[in-house]
Amino acid sequence: MSERNTSRREFLKVLGSGAACATAASAPTAALGFDLESFFQKHFRKLSDAELEEVLRRKEAEFEERFGVPFTVEATPAIEGVTFGYGLDVSRCIGCRRCVYACVDENNQSRDPQIHWIRVLEFEREAIIRGFNLEEGDPYYDHETVPAPGKVYLPTACMQCEGSPCTNVCPTGATWRSPDGIVVIDYDWCIGCRYCMAACPYGARHFNWTEPSIPQEELETDVHFLGNRPRHKGVVEKCHWCVHRTRKGEFPACHEACPVGARKFGNLLDPNSEIRRVMATKRTFVLKSELGTNPKFFYFLGGEERGGDIDYGGHGADHGDEAGEQEGGH
Amino acid sequence: MSADEEVEVYKPPPYQATTWGLLGSAAILVVVLMTVRLGQNPDTPRPGDLAPMPEDGALVLMDEPEMDDEYWPCSDCHDGEPTNFTVREMDDEHDEMPFDHGTTWCMDCHDVDDRDKLTLAGGTLVDFDETHELCGQCHGSKIGDWKSGVHGKRLGHWVGDAQYKPCVSCHNPHSPAFEGLEPKPPPLRPEQIVLPGAVAEAEEPAEEAPATEEGGDHE
Repeated sequence: MSERNTSRREFLKVLGSGAACATAASAPTAALGFDLESFFQKHFRKLSDAELEEVLRRKEAEFEERFGVPFTVEATPAIEGVTFGYGLDVSRCIGCRRCVYACVDENNQSRDPQIHWIRVLEFEREAIIRGFNLEEGDPYYDHETVPAPGKVYLPTACMQCEGSPCTNVCPTGATWRSPDGIVVIDYDWCIGCRYCMAACPYGARHFNWTEPSIPQEELETDVHFLGNRPRHKGVVEKCHWCVHRTRKGEFPACHEACPVGARKFGNLLDPNSEIRRVMATKRTFVLKSELGTNPKFFYFLGGEERGGDIDYGGHGADHGDEAGEQEGGH
Repeated sequence: MSADEEVEVYKPPPYQATTWGLLGSAAILVVVLMTVRLGQNPDTPRPGDLAPMPEDGALVLMDEPEMDDEYWPCSDCHDGEPTNFTVREMDDEHDEMPFDHGTTWCMDCHDVDDRDKLTLAGGTLVDFDETHELCGQCHGSKIGDWKSGVHGKRLGHWVGDAQYKPCVSCHNPHSPAFEGLEPKPPPLRPEQIVLPGAVAEAEEPAEEAPATEEGGDHE
């Protein structure tokens, strides 16, 4: 009984000091075991510029304390007049998984337990005549060299849907679609209910069942508030098209890692961008288009052209690889 | 009956007042909400949330890979000797080079008279750093795709100068098919991922198992 009274008295004492700290808007309240400022941190989109600056600096301090290395946390805004689009040439992907691990390194994904945002599915070449049935895709293939004969590879991650089911179901508004089309997460506002994971038809969202563990030397310390900053146990994470890179004009890490150049990235609103050329000249498709999610991740078959008058800069039509065979007789 | 009809005609419909009242209050609510939104910006991006659009730049061709010093310049060996046009196996010089490019033969691309140049089908000589002109003669759609950024790989930035690798950076002109790569390890299957909490759960049934057997014995 006395023990219980003591703890109650201590609790009140702590509560009092906590309130005092809150009014003084001071640094972390050690006695409470958590940071009041973080606890009352506003939603990202409701932060004023000054408040955002304060939050970013506090996050830097928090990460440095947690990992023992200095961090730079920024929140570069979306670029005006840009809606990002991603293209992936299914006819060229060889399934080497370089993108998967480049993504893990770039985005501070947990190594143990393992979290991979990109999942490369292997399909039988014959089977895809019926279309890509995601259930038939095998992500666990293991060959000595890829591409394995008779196989086709389909890397999948977040599709950055325009009609994103995941953001619609989030009860706290912790995830939303940015003006540049990237679906981002304010990890501090995620309560871990995993509604978004249930809503996502692409299995693109991943949950931190435990505190994520990353070797210190493998940490990416240049991070974006809505992107690759380290996450906590109990929050959902997913691909954000390397928001920390793409909003500065760079390519996503997976694009850079691709050894065959199967990945295309650019501004959908710029008619001269790579991604627009892909959409103008190739057969593109999106996954599960029947759901009306309107993904901004387009798969295409680069090996064949759509018919029509395409300007190849005076090089005319393709006489193709057959031309060499027809010549013969040297 | 007719009196009832007259009454209905001349009376203002009873719902009209309610409708106008509702519309009015809705309008006031909208105005209030808009003021609140403008003041606090709950959903719209904050002022300065969008950065200006960067300018697009020129197309830049990255450097061609360096030539093999053992063979370059070609004229070191091929200097005025008569050219053997016979299609044959390379069993002496160049025997370690892979040759797998359809039915093409050396002299389709290399110039007979000036061995340090390449030759287009029409006889135009091109340098070794303009190989894409040569490749594009047969691979017309590929060169078109490459020029528009659909084939090949753009380096650097998605905006600004577009840096492209030339054909021979990725394809060996003598054996252009892409070689296979060793894939990175596959992801763990769900049953291979061990969570700290799940270890205890997994061990529990093993401990309980003998107990169940004992229970079975008693029965």
